[in-house]
Amino acid sequence: MLKATCTPILSTIPTRYKPLNLTTLPISNTLPQPPPPVRQNAAANPTPAPPTSAYIHLPFCRKRCHYCDFPIVALGTSSPPPDNDPRISDYISLLRREITATRLKTSHHPPLRTIFFGGGTPSLVPPSLVSTILDTLRSKFGVCLDAEISIEMDPGTFDGEKLRELIELGVNRVSLGVQAFQEQLLRACGRAHGLSEVYEAIEIVGSCGVENWSMDLISSLPHQTTEMWEESLRLTVEAQPTHVSVYDLQVEQGTKFSVLYTPGEFPLPSETDSAKFYRMASSMLSNAGYNHYEISSYSKNGFECEHNLTYWKNKPFYGFGLGSASYVRGLRYSRPRKLKEYTGYVQNLEDGAVDCSGDSCGDAKDAAMDVVMLSLRTARGLDLKSFREDFGGSLALSLCKVYKPYVESGHVVCLDGQRRNLMADEFSSLLSDDHKMEEVVAFIRLSDPDGFLLSNELISLAFAAIAP
Amino acid sequence: MGSIGRASKALKSSKNIYLHYISSILSPLSPIHRPNPVHSFPDLHHFNWSYHAYCSHSRNHSSKDVAIDLSQYPTDRVRNFSIIAHVDHGKSTLADRLLELTGTIKRGHGQPQYLDKLQVERERGITVKAQTATMFYTRNFEGTDTNYLVNLIDTPGHVDFSYEVSRSLAACQGVLLVVDAAQGVQAQTVANFYLAFESNLTIIPVINKIDQPTADPDRVKKQLQSMFDLDPIDALMTSAKTGQGLDQVLPAVIERIPPPPGKNNLPLRMLLLDSYYDEYKGVICHVAVVDGALRKGDRISSAATGQSYDVLDVGIMHPELKPTGVLLTGQVGYVVSGMRSTKEARVGDTLQHYRSTVEPLPGFKPAKHMVFSGLYPADGSDFEALNHAIERLTCNDASVSIAKESSTALGLGFRCGFLGLLHMDVFHQRLEQEHGIHVISTVPTVPYMFEYSDGSKVQVQNPAALPSNPKSQLKASWEPTVMATIIIPSDYVGAVITLCSERRGEQLEYSYIDRYLASDLVKLDILLNGQPVDAMATIVHRLKAQRVGRELVEKLKKFIDRQMFEIIIQAAIGSKVIARETISAMRKNVLAKCYGGDVTRKRKLLEKQKEGKKRMKRVGSVDIPQEAFHELLKVS
Repeated sequence: MLKATCTPILSTIPTRYKPLNLTTLPISNTLPQPPPPVRQNAAANPTPAPPTSAYIHLPFCRKRCHYCDFPIVALGTSSPPPDNDPRISDYISLLRREITATRLKTSHHPPLRTIFFGGGTPSLVPPSLVSTILDTLRSKFGVCLDAEISIEMDPGTFDGEKLRELIELGVNRVSLGVQAFQEQLLRACGRAHGLSEVYEAIEIVGSCGVENWSMDLISSLPHQTTEMWEESLRLTVEAQPTHVSVYDLQVEQGTKFSVLYTPGEFPLPSETDSAKFYRMASSMLSNAGYNHYEISSYSKNGFECEHNLTYWKNKPFYGFGLGSASYVRGLRYSRPRKLKEYTGYVQNLEDGAVDCSGDSCGDAKDAAMDVVMLSLRTARGLDLKSFREDFGGSLALSLCKVYKPYVESGHVVCLDGQRRNLMADEFSSLLSDDHKMEEVVAFIRLSDPDGFLLSNELISLAFAAIAP
Repeated sequence: MGSIGRASKALKSSKNIYLHYISSILSPLSPIHRPNPVHSFPDLHHFNWSYHAYCSHSRNHSSKDVAIDLSQYPTDRVRNFSIIAHVDHGKSTLADRLLELTGTIKRGHGQPQYLDKLQVERERGITVKAQTATMFYTRNFEGTDTNYLVNLIDTPGHVDFSYEVSRSLAACQGVLLVVDAAQGVQAQTVANFYLAFESNLTIIPVINKIDQPTADPDRVKKQLQSMFDLDPIDALMTSAKTGQGLDQVLPAVIERIPPPPGKNNLPLRMLLLDSYYDEYKGVICHVAVVDGALRKGDRISSAATGQSYDVLDVGIMHPELKPTGVLLTGQVGYVVSGMRSTKEARVGDTLQHYRSTVEPLPGFKPAKHMVFSGLYPADGSDFEALNHAIERLTCNDASVSIAKESSTALGLGFRCGFLGLLHMDVFHQRLEQEHGIHVISTVPTVPYMFEYSDGSKVQVQNPAALPSNPKSQLKASWEPTVMATIIIPSDYVGAVITLCSERRGEQLEYSYIDRYLASDLVKLDILLNGQPVDAMATIVHRLKAQRVGRELVEKLKKFIDRQMFEIIIQAAIGSKVIARETISAMRKNVLAKCYGGDVTRKRKLLEKQKEGKKRMKRVGSVDIPQEAFHELLKVS
């Protein structure tokens, strides 16, 4: 179901793009390494594999959208995006310093398989600067030739030339921040673009031949009606992206929306309407041939966002840049959200004063909760076999027991090894037979859309079973 | 003024309603009760006494103090009195001034803080525990100085604590009846007057706060005369605030209140007034020596238990514990005797010399518990902590009855009997403030009696214990009732009669049937998705069941959040549903946002959600927040 797995870099035959900077293979990889620390040799505690995914935060925006609480840097709307704005170039060099200063604890770092430029509005950053980041990543970790390299782009911030330049650099996936197809809604959420820029952007993406692109939408916006949402979904399907992300508006503290609106109250849609929007997206996009592979993600076969799958699979990933989160060697770390503190952090990293990679796998219960929380967001669900191996059969059993009433109500689905659904009564009878249970039940997933819609409630129930 | 009716419910005192409990019917210990378990609490905050406690537990005796020779004070030089008053009529301020006048405490010496003992008393401005202080007063009469020993025994004002009042009055020969010059006679003026009157105490009326612009002492004098037959000439006019008239108070105490009647030459008899536990000294008993004398080193025994003790320390409260080595006839003081627990110190007990035989004193009736409520730890695992806290608290408040019980909804807890609702509330507050225990309490109920056709009779203190569908047919049910005299201005008669009849009060002309009155009572069950919640069951009169059921169900709907499944809330009598509400299932609870790799943030949110669930009580498949239990108490 996923795209071809990446094989070691030297045996990979370049396919789509001219291999750039093939000569800048990380030199360190070819040099003899000092013997690794004893801990890493211990057979009982095998070193977790280093990350092969990297998130790069490019925080610049024209202005802050009214719903946004991300760490961003607003450049102002008055001037056109300057190609040599020192704020951008200074940040990029800081970011590259962070990448360079990251300490690798392995002698043979596997090349990156996914890179995600998120923001902010990464499409505001001149391609020449994006190029320097990629160069830095290549020399530090190496990058697979067929790596998925995504970039978030907002309508009105790029033209065909810019996009082609990015493609030249190796960018092969675009995440287009359309959000809505109604002028009034775009205005209401403080977007820096209008509807005409939306159509223009879709046109550019198509004309540049970007095969793998995502349309990003937001549901439950203020004043959004059922008709508007249906229209947005219909126009999305017509634009034929390979991927659709549908985010449900969260009114976050400290945002303009949190001052203006209360969730569930006019002009925000009611909880009932909001749930209806979610169901509409699920049914309309499924009917149009998209797989609902994660709570807020849909894709055509083979076009899942590999980078995001890293998160849901609880695999390690690097995070670079303002406010970004990383998960390296069992440790989750979020970088400072303010530029000044982030600068200090990079300095400390260079001085060896901080190290955001972990050394241990941490508490088993914490790990189990992460696995449950992340996997239950996906259509694949929780792989009980590997869960049993990692955390023991009794924990897996208590999870199943907690979910019994929800299997009966249809919020939770149990599947066997061939991913066939088990009937509720079949599941109930298995609960009394631990051994058979282990044999038969291979996956637990939340149903679409009922289970997904109540995922917080269902996952927190699982938490209570894991850590009472 | 005028209409007299009978209500089965004590009314909250307010400016124009005077309430009088007829005490021949009413146990003086428990004049308040709730005929209906789902009434709201009276507004407790309107009580605004200033708190006053005379005996602090401080152990800082000044060595410079001159030893006190109590033998200078034979009974004719001793006066024991108490101050009784309605809420906020200036009882405690007057007491303060008297203590200052006699030099017992120093004026403006940070006194309120220094004397305050219980946080609940400070916050509510009420006196919960009776306290005692001994003063020395020199009276100059026609050129001759005479020294007197005057004991002031402070009393709680609220009827819930009249148990404490009557206890204090037993050690007095007279009282100061303090009345606010503007407000005049109020409910608790009347209640306390009758307590004193029945104890045959000399009553000195004190019209206080005469400095107020709205003061109308003449009206108050007339009230005193018409209601209590007190001669207006006897009334003292004071302002504890300005000090006006205060010099008249102690002379009046000495002149009008008789000395204690006991005999010096008789064997020791003393009344145990109160006791408390001191971490350093052990049990400290407050006593009034009725006959004979008590000396340090004496061996005494209890008439009630037969146990004997050595007197390790004896003295007076001046206002702190001050050892005197002796207590003589008529004197009031403290005894430390090596008792291990306050349970050994039975309030009202007669203490005597070991192996002597004396006629025991009448003592007190045991406290009668009129309000029962279940107390459960808010967090089920805190049971041991609650158990410990209750043990500690009942060490100093024997008036609460405690029995373990368990509820399927709330786990292990206690069924507690209280003298009244304020008493219950104060107990809760003390648990929280002094022991840091958070409790869920079930709807308070009065003890009901049920009689079945098989002849069995049960007294029910916990509605959950009453079978919803009994095996034998219910023959009769009774509820406790008080006889009350209500004195009100004619303007309010209509409203008060309505209030009384809502509480099924009957006019006095109807014949009265003992303490329990036959009543048509039913058990009202609350069901969540068909499953009864034991901790929410109540007993109500059949006529009120519909309304109460409706209100309870609506209240629950408001306080139970939407959950994954629809919740049906029902109120039922037996198998008959009388009220029903539905909470529709939760529609959406999902975090569909691009947090990217910020797993930590997602995790925190879900963990918070999980913790929220943990704080709730689960009944069947329904999570009930603790607030829902608290809110049920407010349904009236």
